[in-house]
Amino acid sequence: MGVPRPAGEFDTTYAYDMATIRRNWQWWLLIAFIVSLYALPFYASQSIVSLVNRIAITVIAIQGLNLLTGYTGQISLGQAAFMTTGGYISALLVNLAGWHFLAALPAAALGAGIVGLLFGLPSLRVKGFYLTMSTLAAQFIIPWFTRNIFPDILNGAQGVNVRVPFMFGIEFNSPQKYIYLSLTALVLTTIAAHNISRSRLGRAFIAIRDHDLAAELLGMNLFKYKLQAFFLAAVYAGIAGALAAHNIRHLNSETFNLNNSVMYLGMLVIGGLGSNLGPFFGAFVVEMLIEFATLFGPFFITLFPATAAGAVQALKPLFFGVTLMLFLIFEPRGLAHRWQLLKTAWRLRPFSH
Amino acid sequence: MRKSLFTLMAALLAVALVLSACAPQPTPTEPPPPTAAATEAPTEEPTPSGPPDLTGETITIYHFGDLSGPLAAITTPLIHGAEDAVKAINESGGIYGATLEVKFADTGGKAEEAVAAYDRFTSEDPNALVMITYGSGEAEALAQRFAEDKIVNITAGLSSKAFYGAGSGYTFGLGPIYPDQMGATMKFLSENWDTYKPSDAGDEIKLAYLSWPTAFGQGGLTAESRAYLADLGIEIVAEETYDVSPTADTTTAILTAQAAGANVIWTNTLAFGPAAILNDLNSLGLRDQFVVAGDNWSMDLATYAFLAEPAYGVGLIAPFPYLWWTDTGNTGVQYAQTLFTANERPASEHNVGYLLLVAGVDMTVKALTHAIDTVGYENLNGEAVHDALVEMSPFDVLDGVLRMDFSGGSRSPHMSQIRMIQGGPDAFNVLQDWAETPDLRPQE
Repeated sequence: MGVPRPAGEFDTTYAYDMATIRRNWQWWLLIAFIVSLYALPFYASQSIVSLVNRIAITVIAIQGLNLLTGYTGQISLGQAAFMTTGGYISALLVNLAGWHFLAALPAAALGAGIVGLLFGLPSLRVKGFYLTMSTLAAQFIIPWFTRNIFPDILNGAQGVNVRVPFMFGIEFNSPQKYIYLSLTALVLTTIAAHNISRSRLGRAFIAIRDHDLAAELLGMNLFKYKLQAFFLAAVYAGIAGALAAHNIRHLNSETFNLNNSVMYLGMLVIGGLGSNLGPFFGAFVVEMLIEFATLFGPFFITLFPATAAGAVQALKPLFFGVTLMLFLIFEPRGLAHRWQLLKTAWRLRPFSH
Repeated sequence: MRKSLFTLMAALLAVALVLSACAPQPTPTEPPPPTAAATEAPTEEPTPSGPPDLTGETITIYHFGDLSGPLAAITTPLIHGAEDAVKAINESGGIYGATLEVKFADTGGKAEEAVAAYDRFTSEDPNALVMITYGSGEAEALAQRFAEDKIVNITAGLSSKAFYGAGSGYTFGLGPIYPDQMGATMKFLSENWDTYKPSDAGDEIKLAYLSWPTAFGQGGLTAESRAYLADLGIEIVAEETYDVSPTADTTTAILTAQAAGANVIWTNTLAFGPAAILNDLNSLGLRDQFVVAGDNWSMDLATYAFLAEPAYGVGLIAPFPYLWWTDTGNTGVQYAQTLFTANERPASEHNVGYLLLVAGVDMTVKALTHAIDTVGYENLNGEAVHDALVEMSPFDVLDGVLRMDFSGGSRSPHMSQIRMIQGGPDAFNVLQDWAETPDLRPQE
């Protein structure tokens, strides 16, 4: 959605018309923000660096889901399963085949993408609730596969230890180092997601989301575009899964479960479906809520020692659930939409319309 | 556009590499500044004379576990056990006057959350000494980090991979690893098969492994345990999994085991895990066709909360690497009972979790005291605590509630009783007194 601009401000060149960021100060602000993130290990505690690291990886997973659900309108509950796929592919390539992490990462993305394609096939025949159910199948089939097939390689339910990336003489074995991998990946996936959403492909996704019959009548091959959306979503999940697996250093069928898939969908709703800012807002808000619940738990136990244990158990899902419910009722278009409204009001000040 | 994108990618990669090369090392990996005392062998220079006065100092023990995930049923008493034990130690003067403190984090049973908690704790404390963990998955995921940062992990998650996997070395168990537990129980059964076998069973033990599809649930099955069972002449005829849920249906798994000719069921689960099997066996009318055995956590009062009838628990056999609340003649158990009563804990928490953490804190205090005696408080770090655990071995914890031995490269104890439920709740009667378990640790 384009943000309304004050009267008299015109696009005078094609480049200006196409620009994502129009003003120099906005560029500088963005660069300063990215630099401040990259410099985080120099001024922030390991705990905060670790949190940002986690958020970055989560955002990548949600960006993929945003392409599929936010732009194309295909609801998926299989994103965490595709993360498992990417994680295992990368772990096995690095651990067993001795691949370089930079080679294993795109291979993991590609592998997850192909698996995503398979689970996208039902989108030819079903949509809505039924498609959601078919993606849910991925969340059962893939973990089952990792537990029961090739036990000598995948080590069954116990999973595999994953080596930390080692590149150019640097071992990425601490959050302070790993954050450079996750942030760099996030910047690249963000650029890619932004460009996809503005391309012919992205327009097709949006057309299918808004009215698939009309899109088909206009000559779009629905099946092709839906499969492309599934592929891209799984590619993003593969990248996120590989990054997470090498960060956690251990991977089994439980690492990314159905709960993760539901959380990612909830984060996307809270952040804003069909907006490139949505994944950032959603991941940040929910991760901060979880962090707050974690930090608040011991304090809660101190306050109410007799009843705390049961209550603390409920804090995280409670915070997430209540937040999601409030957004669905009061701001179903998410924080990204609220941000757009805020920007519009600011640009049109002192006139609100 | 494409050219500028590649330029941006190249620039980003270069900047990331330069920055990561320059990134500050995480503080926990920084060893304390070397001193004359630290550079020499600890045993060669004991503390000069008399106990040190550490009044005003604080020593923190970190522990994290699953309060909001599937294993929450058993973890709450663990926290209270740790808190009560620490409170009592501080009231009796702490460690040479130093106050002991515990900090807890809920991980929901997820490795990702455990890593986050670990990062948070190591960020708060550059010289973290001891962390206590509960889950096998968590212990496995963090094993390398503990070794790299030289922080001792005392864990109730007894997966062999956490203790002896590549890059491990700082993870110590509160009980024998699950392959040892299964090996010990099966050895006992094979030696006493005529006594305990179901009436219709043949002379050979046919084992069905029915368990959760998790790192914990599958923890008993390793190459070493399979080979050991084969040596005992025990055949594993069925391997089935069921959901990690209080409402899990195990009937299919049981019927598969029956069809395969199994006469013993082993489950590596806890609370609702063994309860599901016992409930369904009774519902199917097949209880008398199987000996049911499980890991140490399976025999606990937490299981009774999920049994349809308390009597369904009768006959369950499990390795028991600690004493129980009913062993009132033991002073360690008496001490735990005193803490439990004094802190007015509810009866529902009178389970293995509480007792074990009172013992776990006692073990930690012993190790910390030994380390301070050896290297001095100023040089106290995780490595010194690790060395203390090894040097003290073999040793008793809480006057014999636990029997530890970390010598010979072992990081999990090898002593256990075998017990059977022979009556109402708490009638965990000894079938075989303390005996050495088989050593089924994987090759490092």
